[in-house]
Amino acid sequence: MEKDIREDIAWAQINKDVLKSLENPRKLYWIILFIAIAMVGVAVGCEVYQYQTGMGVANKNNSHVWGLYIATFIFWIGMSHSGTLLSAILHLMHADWRKPIYRFAEAMTTFSLMTAGLFVLVHLGRLWQVYYVMPYPSERWVWPNFQSPLVWDMFAIATYLSSSVIFLYVGMIPDLAICRDNIHSGWRKKLYTVMSLGWEGTDRQWRNFRITYLTVACFLIPLAVSVHSIVASDFAMSNMPGWHVTSFPPYFVAGALYSGCAAIITLFVILRYTFKFEEYMTLSIMRKLVRLTFAIAMVWTYLNMIEFASVWYGHDQTAKDQLIFKATGPYAPFFWAMIFFGSILPLMLAFKRFQTHLPILFVVSILLNVGMWLERWMIIAPSFAHGHYPWTWDHDQWPSFVQWGIVFGSFGWFTLLFMVFCKVFPSVSMYEVKEMVYHRTLALKGKSAAKGGH
Amino acid sequence: MSQRHLLALFNDFDGAAAAISELRATSIKGFDIDDLILKSPIEHPEVEAVLGDKPINVQWFTLIGACMGGLLAFFLVASAQANFFAQIKGGKPIVPLPPDFVLTYEMFILGGVFITVLGFLICAGLPAKRSPLYSSKVSEDQIGILVKGDESALTTLKTIFTKHRALEIQEEAGR
Amino acid sequence: MSIVNLLGNWSDFRQQHPSDEHKHLEYKWAMSIDLDACTGCNACSVACYAENNLPVVGKEKFSHGHSHHWMRIERYWDNDGREFADQGAQFLPMLCQQCESAPCETVCPVGATNHTADGLNSQNYHRCVGSRYCNANCPYKVRYFNWYDYPTTENVWPEPMRQQLNPDATVRGKGVMEKCTFCLQRLRAAQSTARTEGRSVRDGEVQTACQQVCPTGAITFGNLVDPEAKVGKQWMQQQVELNKDKQVKDTAEHASKLRGYRVLEELRTYPSVMYLEQLRESAI
Repeated sequence: MEKDIREDIAWAQINKDVLKSLENPRKLYWIILFIAIAMVGVAVGCEVYQYQTGMGVANKNNSHVWGLYIATFIFWIGMSHSGTLLSAILHLMHADWRKPIYRFAEAMTTFSLMTAGLFVLVHLGRLWQVYYVMPYPSERWVWPNFQSPLVWDMFAIATYLSSSVIFLYVGMIPDLAICRDNIHSGWRKKLYTVMSLGWEGTDRQWRNFRITYLTVACFLIPLAVSVHSIVASDFAMSNMPGWHVTSFPPYFVAGALYSGCAAIITLFVILRYTFKFEEYMTLSIMRKLVRLTFAIAMVWTYLNMIEFASVWYGHDQTAKDQLIFKATGPYAPFFWAMIFFGSILPLMLAFKRFQTHLPILFVVSILLNVGMWLERWMIIAPSFAHGHYPWTWDHDQWPSFVQWGIVFGSFGWFTLLFMVFCKVFPSVSMYEVKEMVYHRTLALKGKSAAKGGH
Repeated sequence: MSQRHLLALFNDFDGAAAAISELRATSIKGFDIDDLILKSPIEHPEVEAVLGDKPINVQWFTLIGACMGGLLAFFLVASAQANFFAQIKGGKPIVPLPPDFVLTYEMFILGGVFITVLGFLICAGLPAKRSPLYSSKVSEDQIGILVKGDESALTTLKTIFTKHRALEIQEEAGR
Repeated sequence: MSIVNLLGNWSDFRQQHPSDEHKHLEYKWAMSIDLDACTGCNACSVACYAENNLPVVGKEKFSHGHSHHWMRIERYWDNDGREFADQGAQFLPMLCQQCESAPCETVCPVGATNHTADGLNSQNYHRCVGSRYCNANCPYKVRYFNWYDYPTTENVWPEPMRQQLNPDATVRGKGVMEKCTFCLQRLRAAQSTARTEGRSVRDGEVQTACQQVCPTGAITFGNLVDPEAKVGKQWMQQQVELNKDKQVKDTAEHASKLRGYRVLEELRTYPSVMYLEQLRESAI
């Protein structure tokens, strides 16, 4: 059995290797950064045009009032969930293998939430009045409508974003102290000095750190589940056929973990190459990650079938028509692509030979996410094209280049934030890798001592 | 008698733990074992026993924060609904409990997380002034023991550290 | 004080609507539309454009589905066994159903749409942020979004046309949702005149624009609380009750031949508009 990490890596070497990622990545890093900035430029251009002209340029219309923005919003919210899975759930389960990869997964959570938040803004007809959604005391005693799932979204996302930023930051304090001790000049020295809060690794600090990290992890798990359940409520609470489904919350949570795990595989491959993390992001960890993704893919497939079955055997004729419309109407190619990418392609991951084949995994993980994005689109669009009311049965609605441009640019925005983070902050948790190495050494010692005794 | 600091660096936890147990066992005049601070690059629940019983209070912050967050949310939301022109929406009650539960739940978590972290900063004494003696080796791979004692005790302390194969002993310059 | 208010009125605040215990006191505006009388002439739609300052968006935007017909005439063809499908043409004027328990109201994040005391589904343009959730949740899809800033778009109300804008109604800027208001500006004028004179609005005193222009008189509008009102009599005659999601006459063993029905009633929206079914050739 291959090892998750070599136990003979010197602790000083870990520091050196990770700190190197802050200094000189491969040239690919700069290429990715440049492409990301260009993509953000496209989105900014589209948004400025839409803001000036009106939402009409997105080519939605009066029955198709939601489009790619909401679909992509769910996609990004969903993507954020796996960071929490890796950092909080696996932390509680003492899964040691999470340690080298959870930091960037946690960063992925934060940045995909920031991306998702932008889609709420882009979607609004009157972006400049967005603060109406926040509960602030005003002289007219006007409050937001607390019954609206969108307000729940606002609460949930604000809670999730701030909590995961805090979680990311608290978990990073010891590493920031390492950076402070090793980088001796420039703005980054100042940044690390301020951000590490004078951490010196004293027993008092570690003792409180441990309990805090555990407590916040415990809070984050139900929070992550509730966030995507609330996003699912945007649909499940409405009366549109195809949305009004009781099993939506668990279905959304499973889909979220699924697309997030696939994204972690993609980023794993990119980081491992650009920052030369071969020693830490080992193939053995990748194998575990792939198995986890496979398991979640099957859960998602199962919940998908439950949804179809409950619609099919239910008495709601409109919902049934809607399902048939999805599978046979103008959206059929996308629907079946979603089934293929989401349920059939991941079967590949069950085979050992693919589990550590990085180029194949890279491509497959991206395709899985294409499938998951299609899933979100297939939830939104067909319901508008075939709802309760026959007058709106109009399928001739294709998102304009403005919508596509903003969706495209959001990937650039995410990549930009993520790549800058990885360059400025240690994307592998140094102190936890040391712990991992330490515990393995202890376990090894215990084993050899037991052997010696016999 | 002025007090001075001493920082000893050890290669591993075993040496440091042995040194601490010995410090605890021998009573040295002018040195209090509670003034000892262990510094390490990783968490060390296994070694904590030698440091003696030290209380952790973060969980009380968590409890208070979570309860306050939840209560605050419910009363804020429900009173806002009861005053917003008492306006009927969609035939639902003016103070509908299921949505209010959702918001209470979210704020329960938000309050819990925020106040826990506040509690962490208070309990761990962060942001902290840097201690008088510090070696960047501590953030790398060595275990440090920072002690404070009267000048008369320093020699004894040094002897104990050297006995347990301290790699390096830093001493605060005398005033 | 809000908490005192909250605790003092707890049971009132937990009241569902519509309910027979909490009836409308003075006014409950309602409509009935006789589909047998409707000729599909679109006069109601035109009158609505004029009365409520609806932007005429032009051919191109219309084809993108950006039009604002608060009152729209829907056409359906019944071509079973006919030589020409058009012979089975049926019309359905569709407008906001002013639901008693409106799905659009609960989902609006900012509370821009509410149920008023006189039984209307109000829309506050100033408060709307344009999330369009109300439209997504409206089963009738009778809400219209301002996809562009029509007041500043030059070919919507070109210069002399500005003079014909109704000063009693607003024009809406970009990014807000709008819908049929039952000609709220007329209702409010009639209500305040009546209040000044110390009485309630008499039946026929106020008409909606669509009702006023309907050449066949297919549209009846009035106050359902008023026992004298024609609309209430029609509802009663057709045995359609406002507060029921399933009418007694339909559950009876031999369903009656009465023509009155409400659209998508089973969704429990409790619409305020009753339609009278078109008489079929087969039924004669």
